[in-house]
Amino acid sequence: MLAALLIAAFSQSIDSTPARRPPRTIAIDERLAADAHIKLGDRLVVSMTPGGVGDSVIVSAIVRRRADPSEVARAEYRAVMHLDELQSLIGYGDRVDRFAVATRGGVAADSAIRRVNDVAFGFQAFRSRDIAVETSRTFLVVSRFHRAIGVITIVASAIFLLCIMLLKVDERRRDVAALRLLGISSRSIVRSVMVEAALVAGVGSAVGVALGWVAAQLINWHYRGVYRTPLAFALVTPGIVALAVILSLVLGLVAGLLAARRLVHMPALELLTGRHEDRRTTLPAAVQT
Amino acid sequence: MLFHLAWATLTRHRSRTLLATLGVAVSAAMLLDMVMLASGMRTSLRNLLLSKGFQLRLAPKGTLPFDTDATIPDASNVIRVVRTIPDVTAISPVLGGQIHVTIGARTTTATALGVEPAVQGDFEITQGRTPAAMNELVASDDFLRATGARIGDTLSAAAGYDPQLRSFTGRRTLVLVGRAHFLYMPAEQRAVGLPIATLQGMRGADARDRASLFMIRVRDGADVDTVLHRLQAALPTVTAVSTETAMRQVDERLSYFRQLAFILGAVSLAVGFLLVTTLVTVSVNERLGEIVVMRAIGVARRRVVLQIVVEGVAIMLVGALAGLALGLVTARYLNSILASFPGLPAAIDFFLFEPRDAWGALALLTAAGILAGVYPSWRGASLPIATTLREEAVG
Repeated sequence: MLAALLIAAFSQSIDSTPARRPPRTIAIDERLAADAHIKLGDRLVVSMTPGGVGDSVIVSAIVRRRADPSEVARAEYRAVMHLDELQSLIGYGDRVDRFAVATRGGVAADSAIRRVNDVAFGFQAFRSRDIAVETSRTFLVVSRFHRAIGVITIVASAIFLLCIMLLKVDERRRDVAALRLLGISSRSIVRSVMVEAALVAGVGSAVGVALGWVAAQLINWHYRGVYRTPLAFALVTPGIVALAVILSLVLGLVAGLLAARRLVHMPALELLTGRHEDRRTTLPAAVQT
Repeated sequence: MLFHLAWATLTRHRSRTLLATLGVAVSAAMLLDMVMLASGMRTSLRNLLLSKGFQLRLAPKGTLPFDTDATIPDASNVIRVVRTIPDVTAISPVLGGQIHVTIGARTTTATALGVEPAVQGDFEITQGRTPAAMNELVASDDFLRATGARIGDTLSAAAGYDPQLRSFTGRRTLVLVGRAHFLYMPAEQRAVGLPIATLQGMRGADARDRASLFMIRVRDGADVDTVLHRLQAALPTVTAVSTETAMRQVDERLSYFRQLAFILGAVSLAVGFLLVTTLVTVSVNERLGEIVVMRAIGVARRRVVLQIVVEGVAIMLVGALAGLALGLVTARYLNSILASFPGLPAAIDFFLFEPRDAWGALALLTAAGILAGVYPSWRGASLPIATTLREEAVG
């Protein structure tokens, strides 16, 4: 039936033939209206085959699609017609593809499903929720893919952050050595480095959240245009912000702690002169001579 | 000596170098995966569409093949018209539908493909033979598993229901003559293939002389686009789709993945670049004294720059090689996730490894490694020798 609708939509044209009976009304989606320059009140001919004999209809409504993820990649047009007219137009007889049944609450739904399935032959009753689960399988797959990509990204970011913190603390080795020679305790030095690491991670997180929000706006703007849908493709939720900030702070603090402990366990004079590096490096003979 | 010096510098801060290499490895793995994602789906789809040599497809007007339940009427006339077009060597009509096979008290429903067995391009026989008579069919592994049927069995099949009479319609007795791999179907799909005339007959008036799709083979060396235009002119009520058109339309639908691959690939490259740039910059800042001493004893600026660039490239290359292995493992895992897309043909791979992808990723990373080392090394090697020596000596 959907195919027939599509064919009907594709074959529309401004009616120039005399009507056989008073035209019925039709609703079209705004995508079709925009592409075919159709306005409310326009008279169209809809037919089963392109250019075939059809029925005259009047556009009575232009509808906006719901934000339904299952339709996002489908570039089709959609028209809503009176059931009897569509059945007649496509020679479908007294048939429908499905019924939507409203019941009074969950128990009534169970009983209705049971009774329909007991007497039915050739069709089956389903709970709307089960159909929703089945039709959303595509998005579950996409969601799993996103999660996997997210984990890889987090691992890469964690290593990047660790490396940066290590470099940042390492850069401070002369300051740390001077502080230790002045008699500042190792604990105070570690704390100060960790406070610095927390500040860097905190400021970095704030900038990251702001960048993420801007990126989400750009992504939504771009894909809403591409797929012509009101769907939100990227959402910056409080949960995601909390995860990013906590992860960043924890990683920053761990990296700061590791680097600071390494520095405070080395002799201060060697740190000051840089000899701790020379001890670990074996220069090639050509350089040593 | 150039490489020895670079090695000495890199091993001076082992943990730092190790972390940077690990970071580059993860970035390289991500980059490789995204390069594979960007091209893999296209390549595997193209391979699938051309696997049986059919370059063109005819679908109901305004649709892609099997995108809707719509069918093309007057199929025999379409075949007659297509055969008059020069350079067409074969046309294979296909009708889709459902078939209900009853064995004992149990009924199994499967997707049915009605084809011309002599020219079909929808399945490959893995055991037994292609249907030769009107009452023969082949079935997929999953169908055989679900029904317990074996080659040589006679099956009672129907193509529809009559709810008023509470009985099956379009009943036939069919003989199972082969096991087949259905090329365009998902991995776990119960499917059967049978002569198109049999399926048309089983489906009754709704499917009389109708087809869901025609696959057309064009003579080798002929211009496919010319044949496409001729088909469109001769058959205005159907949509003619070339492999390129089909790929373009699928590309449009799945552009999300291509764009995601581009964005994440660019981010991965940027992260690897930033990581190496930071490392090399810090390393140069720490060794300003060493660098100006080298310059003071007559080492050429170009050579100093080269040594520092070698350090950056070494981190990138070692990280990239580790990333290549890591990337293949993660690509396999990510592909297994996307392979569970409902209705996706089993032959489609989102992540397809091709050596040129690996070379491409490696080339990008090497270029990033060179760029990452150029600025800090040039800055370090260009410092005034006397002033820097004095500053470094005084501290």
